[in-house]
Amino acid sequence: MTGLQSMFAPMGPEAALIADLAAVLFVGAAVVLTIVVAALWFAMLGSSAARRGLAAERAVIVGGIVFPIVALAALLAYGLWVMRASVASPAASNAMRIEVTGEQWWWRVAYRDGDGRRIESANEIRIPVGRDVVLTLRSADVIHSFWVPSLAGKVDMIPGRVNTLKIVAKQPGVYRGQCAEYCGGAHALMALEVVALPEAEFASWLAAEGAQATDAAGETERQGRELFLAAGCGACHAIRGTRADGRIGPDLTRVGARRQIAAATLPATRENLARFIVDGQHLKPGNGMPPFRVFSAEELSAVVAYLASLK
Amino acid sequence: MRRILYTALGLAAVGSVGLLLFAWSGLYSVAASRGHWPMVEWVLEFGMENSVETHAPNVTPPRLDDPDLIRLGAGHFLFGCAECHGAPGTEVGLVVRGMLPPPPDLSRRVSAWTDQELFWIVKNGIKYTGMPAWPTLDRDDEVWALIAFLRALPSLDQAAYRALAYGDVPAEPQSGEGVAMSGGASRALGACARCHGAGDRPPLSALVPRLHGQPAEMLVEALRAFAAGERRSGIMEPLAAALSRRAAEEVATYYAGLAPLPPTSTVQAESIGRLAAEGDAAAEIPACISCHDRQALAIYPRLAAQSARYLENRLRVLWYAQPRTPTQSIMVPIARRLSEQQIRDLSAYFAGLPPEQR
Repeated sequence: MTGLQSMFAPMGPEAALIADLAAVLFVGAAVVLTIVVAALWFAMLGSSAARRGLAAERAVIVGGIVFPIVALAALLAYGLWVMRASVASPAASNAMRIEVTGEQWWWRVAYRDGDGRRIESANEIRIPVGRDVVLTLRSADVIHSFWVPSLAGKVDMIPGRVNTLKIVAKQPGVYRGQCAEYCGGAHALMALEVVALPEAEFASWLAAEGAQATDAAGETERQGRELFLAAGCGACHAIRGTRADGRIGPDLTRVGARRQIAAATLPATRENLARFIVDGQHLKPGNGMPPFRVFSAEELSAVVAYLASLK
Repeated sequence: MRRILYTALGLAAVGSVGLLLFAWSGLYSVAASRGHWPMVEWVLEFGMENSVETHAPNVTPPRLDDPDLIRLGAGHFLFGCAECHGAPGTEVGLVVRGMLPPPPDLSRRVSAWTDQELFWIVKNGIKYTGMPAWPTLDRDDEVWALIAFLRALPSLDQAAYRALAYGDVPAEPQSGEGVAMSGGASRALGACARCHGAGDRPPLSALVPRLHGQPAEMLVEALRAFAAGERRSGIMEPLAAALSRRAAEEVATYYAGLAPLPPTSTVQAESIGRLAAEGDAAAEIPACISCHDRQALAIYPRLAAQSARYLENRLRVLWYAQPRTPTQSIMVPIARRLSEQQIRDLSAYFAGLPPEQR
């Protein structure tokens, strides 16, 4: 099976273990169900000998006590082994570390470059293929749960606690994830994408991600940047290399390079960027950004052109 | 027993039909010139007084001897109330004396009511009397300003009233031609400068915003929002609605061109300055100056050297406001994240900021 966001399409070792566990559970449950239905059939319509056998004390002891204890104990052992394999296996020494913080209703993502400098981004996690990636999971407000089904099981993000999750992507691709713990009104619109890139491509991407924002190229983009700053967007959003240094909302230094906006709610087209600026409360009710209806149509498209140019 | 009941019901039915027929016949005169029968007048007054007493809210008024509150109330009294109720030195108008009931001379009558009863009357108006409700029900703070003025009213003579209500704006045109062209004192009624000051004169009350040197675009937008009823104020909505678009632009340009007034306070707390300049990311409070410094969009107000009491009041009004305008949509959620202490401290901070600094 395939799918952008499916646990039946495992693309990493932990997801593979969980997919196997699921297969064992489904097959085992099907076998048990078959036995139960057969026993029921015999109890009602079987020969009197079969019915006597089912009613015997031994049948109750074997089928009702011994079998469930053995089967469930085996499953428990198997489940513990799966957990141990995914939680306790040490990360490789060259593991990539990425901090992910759940906030209502988006994901703050922070990388470290070679010098340990923090590079902030949002709602899109890029990882190198084949390398261990250790995610440090935190919450800024309520309980969220990080779940990218193709790569790993879900891990809760709990206020005041730091959880970790190791993921490895076997091949390049885009893996969608979703907050898996109800966290308030727009919980269903709190998604993310993990983009796995070949090692070399990832290195050059990370270098670009850590650089200052690209300079506004044209006249429109320059006008857009001035409007962005004058309208106060920088109070909540940071664009490195400008005086916008807000820490409340997502860092926009590379927003033009992202595939989606509003926590993987909408494709990052210019139309959607403009809609979100003016009418974000309808697209994603309750989100922290007030609607900015202070721009004329030309001003809005200049701001959007500037944001789209931040690649 | 049953017979008495049927008789009573029958009489009631006949009475109702009789009343309806009487109203339908048109024999009853609704002429204001004829007055009421003493009996009817007594019933109406008795009902009105008890209704006000019952409905008056059980709230604690603000300090009603606050001079800023009194002056703000005086400014509005002249525009909204004096036309019918008269004022010190001005009798109840001849035209309105023909109303039924005639509007009372307030300096003699206000002492009969408690503060809460007066508040309820001014806010809600009174049915069948011609007394209108406050233009918006969202601005209790403005209503209280008028109550503060009404409490001061009985002790005012003509000169003291004029000084309160007109400020330095000339109350009457000086020349015969002025009277001929403008119709006497009424021309000063809507003058912005009565409350907001002009030239290098500050507003008449610390509760009134200083417009000197604010961006013209912001002022035009504020007048548009008041006129459209999107920004709520019983004082500003009728005044703004009476202005043409051109007049609004002209007056905005005038105030935008004035030199900003000097700061009113010297409070400069270090921590609150940081909140204003950097915000508080953990509490999701953005930095005030991102939108309120000189480099910001001209649709945003500048806060340096604004009156602290006005800023406090404005933030509290925004706290409860239903956002309707583009700028309210941005500011209301932010205002709601501020604590009462932060509102006071930030207002004092910006009031103390020299205007040339931001």
